[in-house]
Amino acid sequence: MPTSAGRVLFLVFVAAVFLFLVAPLVVIVWASFFADKILTFPPSGYTLAWYARAWQLPDFASGFLMSVQVAICATLGSLLLGVPAALAVERFRFPGREPLRQILLAPMYVPAIVAGAAVYLYFVQVEIATEVQLTATFPGVMIAHTMVGLPWTMRLVCASLATTGSIAEEAAQSLGANALQTFFYVTLPIIRPGVIAAALFSFIASFTELEMSLFLVGPGKTTLPIAIVNYLEWNLDSTIAAVATVQILIIGAVLLASDRFVNLGKAF
Amino acid sequence: MSGVTLRNLIKAYGELRAVDDVSLEIREGELLALLGPSGCGKTTTLRAIAGFVQPTSGTVHFGERDVTAVPVHKRNVGMVFQGYALFPHLNVAKNVAFGLKVRGWDKQRVRKRVTEMLEWVQLAKLSERRARELSGGQQQRVALARAMAIKPEVLLLDEPFSALDAKLRLQMRTEIRQLQREAGITSVFVTHDQDEAMAIADRIGVINHGRLEQLGSAEDLYKRPVSRFVAGFIGKCNFIEGRVTAPGRFAAAGGVELRFAGQHAAGPAALCFRPEHAAVGPGTAAAGDNRLPVSVKSVTYLGPATEYELISESGENLLVSASSASGAAAAPQGERLVVSWRPEDCFVVD
Amino acid sequence: MVELQERRLKPGALVIPALLLVSAFLLAPLALILRFSLDLYDPAQLMQGVFSLDNYVKVFTDPFYTQVLGFTAQIAALSTAICLLLGYPVAYFISRSHSERLRSLLIILTVLPLLMGNAVRSAAWMVVMGSSGLINGLLLAVGIIEEPVKILYTPTAVVIGLVSVLLPFAIITLQSVIDSIPASLEEAGRSLGYSPLRTMVAVVMPISLPGIVAAAAICFCLAMNAYATPVLIGGPSVHMMGPLVYQQIAKVANWPFGSALAWVLMAVTLVLTVVSTTYLSRRYF
Repeated sequence: MPTSAGRVLFLVFVAAVFLFLVAPLVVIVWASFFADKILTFPPSGYTLAWYARAWQLPDFASGFLMSVQVAICATLGSLLLGVPAALAVERFRFPGREPLRQILLAPMYVPAIVAGAAVYLYFVQVEIATEVQLTATFPGVMIAHTMVGLPWTMRLVCASLATTGSIAEEAAQSLGANALQTFFYVTLPIIRPGVIAAALFSFIASFTELEMSLFLVGPGKTTLPIAIVNYLEWNLDSTIAAVATVQILIIGAVLLASDRFVNLGKAF
Repeated sequence: MSGVTLRNLIKAYGELRAVDDVSLEIREGELLALLGPSGCGKTTTLRAIAGFVQPTSGTVHFGERDVTAVPVHKRNVGMVFQGYALFPHLNVAKNVAFGLKVRGWDKQRVRKRVTEMLEWVQLAKLSERRARELSGGQQQRVALARAMAIKPEVLLLDEPFSALDAKLRLQMRTEIRQLQREAGITSVFVTHDQDEAMAIADRIGVINHGRLEQLGSAEDLYKRPVSRFVAGFIGKCNFIEGRVTAPGRFAAAGGVELRFAGQHAAGPAALCFRPEHAAVGPGTAAAGDNRLPVSVKSVTYLGPATEYELISESGENLLVSASSASGAAAAPQGERLVVSWRPEDCFVVD
Repeated sequence: MVELQERRLKPGALVIPALLLVSAFLLAPLALILRFSLDLYDPAQLMQGVFSLDNYVKVFTDPFYTQVLGFTAQIAALSTAICLLLGYPVAYFISRSHSERLRSLLIILTVLPLLMGNAVRSAAWMVVMGSSGLINGLLLAVGIIEEPVKILYTPTAVVIGLVSVLLPFAIITLQSVIDSIPASLEEAGRSLGYSPLRTMVAVVMPISLPGIVAAAAICFCLAMNAYATPVLIGGPSVHMMGPLVYQQIAKVANWPFGSALAWVLMAVTLVLTVVSTTYLSRRYF
């Protein structure tokens, strides 16, 4: 394309938008190393002290651990429930298939704050009725996070199945493989990239979940994003920048891992 | 209205040259076909004329005007795309009017021109329809009307008939040819179908691996191909390997001496003749004719013609086509016969 | 596709656990709070056990709440408009870029901030916009101002924060719709005399309108339902629906009213989703 003033302007505009998207993250990572106690630009020096301090703050340490634990469990739950469901929806024909697909994707469409409020009040009613406490507990948070991950698993595994079609499985059956053999030798390898991507995105969705966790956490049982929000209501300093940076690094690492298994450019 | 001249046009993608030093002149008002196999560079050449492709070097002229650096939207070309590219959100009339709006024509003038164009392609009654409601042939006519509405200097068509079924293809190509003649506009179209090119083009440019192998009328290309590729690409052709030993004399690989009309330098070459120019028989042939002993591989009766697949003594596959009206007879497989043809009916290529 | 009778393994077994989870922990709770929203608050028992539309009436007539609802809608609309304006050219750029690698890179850059989570993103904007943050620090250092400017804790800041949350969704939605529009249509436009910019406006935009509507719906819903951005970047003086729901349910414990607020948000989201999906299904490509 011939270069012209118009094209240059367009490129500058696009670059500016990307800068807008990415800059805040870069800035907070940068700020996590500032030496000053109060946030000041430009900084007088650099230090790693805030990372140590962040770990010493009980909320952050326990929040971090809880987030990791919940994310792992929620990911497992999302896969265990979502992979079979995706198989059923993509490979079988039965009445109500499409409404069912929409129901399983629903957690993605219901506003998180609404879902959080609803699940919280529901848990309270359950506790009143059965004496089983779910609010401010690990299982409670885990259930909510599993639901958050489920649509991701559905989307990614269904996409895997849809693009390859059932032709390979039909070929296997024509060669004599039974249902279980077909699943292990043909279907599973086909959906492996989708499953791995689903695991990684479920992990990210759970680790960063905020609005539902807001209602469901309690003293000693809080997640990292909530701990960050609580801290930010009173303080803005390099310590919180350090904590945020840790979350950024973790998510970034998970994304990098997933890029090997799914072409991120095509997943959306 | 003017002709189009390409001078030393090169389009390179890294090491690969999609268009390799193409020079040709398209005469004012003529319909030129760019013909070649898939991936030969004919579409790239067309798109270079349109301006979608920036040449690595070389120039494009519309008449006297050098348009090489001129962006597409300022070149005033009319283009009919493969698949027609009609705007789905506009009806037929608005599609045809599209290029006129940007030229600042007032509503009255636009309406007049649109009616004129739609009548020209005989679609006046369908002006309110959307593209998806039209048949392939109708869509193509809309695309043509839209391209011609802006009074372009050149009309370009990219494989215009490939999306149509066989019957419609024949019908549309005659129609388009007629419309083009009426308008008298310099036109270039790209195709891989030689029948199409030979049927409607004034001249044909044969392109292979980015190079223009030959430019000429259908008869030029068929009777006097300048290269092995052109000889083999246009129609069917028989090739006999060997060497030119002296002017007009050719020694086939198997040792047979053959004669040919025309000039060719001494050295390794191939002697070619068309299937319909040869006769196959027991051995009697006119004096002065070339002869080659062959054995029969198969005989196929096709109705108007009978085709003989033959193998020469040096193992070359030959094809001879004899009209059934001349009393061509079947022959059993393996029978030894003689193929003969006149020296004036064959030619030599590298 | 396998007919049901031919498989020994029935799809029911595969799908029931997931269906149970969503039914029990999403659909049932939503139904529950719908019921609550029709109840009335009682300081002693929390709920009176009646059926009444009072809560909904209150949302739409009490000046405080109508103001919050209106303000939230305004902020959402403004953020959506800005998103579309910024996002369309970017989506177009990504969609029409010739390099596969550049495309992948840009999509990752678009999605990256999204996946970091709202808490981190809000924190990042606070660091940028705070009184001792990046912008103020720069302006003070250069000497343009003498005292820090209040950027954080204003509606403007909330819009900026929301746009950064919404923009990736807008870009991805628009880019996938523009992808489906054949390049030959743009080439046709250009051959007819439209410059590349005019072609984008006169050809691509109208044809991608369903995608624009869908992107607008998604952005609007996300903004209406936002929590972290209004709370952290808006501060105590900015009142929006998301934080209000949390406050009514978790702090004030007025469950019926909080549920009504939640269902107002739910209803808006539902309507917009249905509208945009229907519209999207009428795409040309």
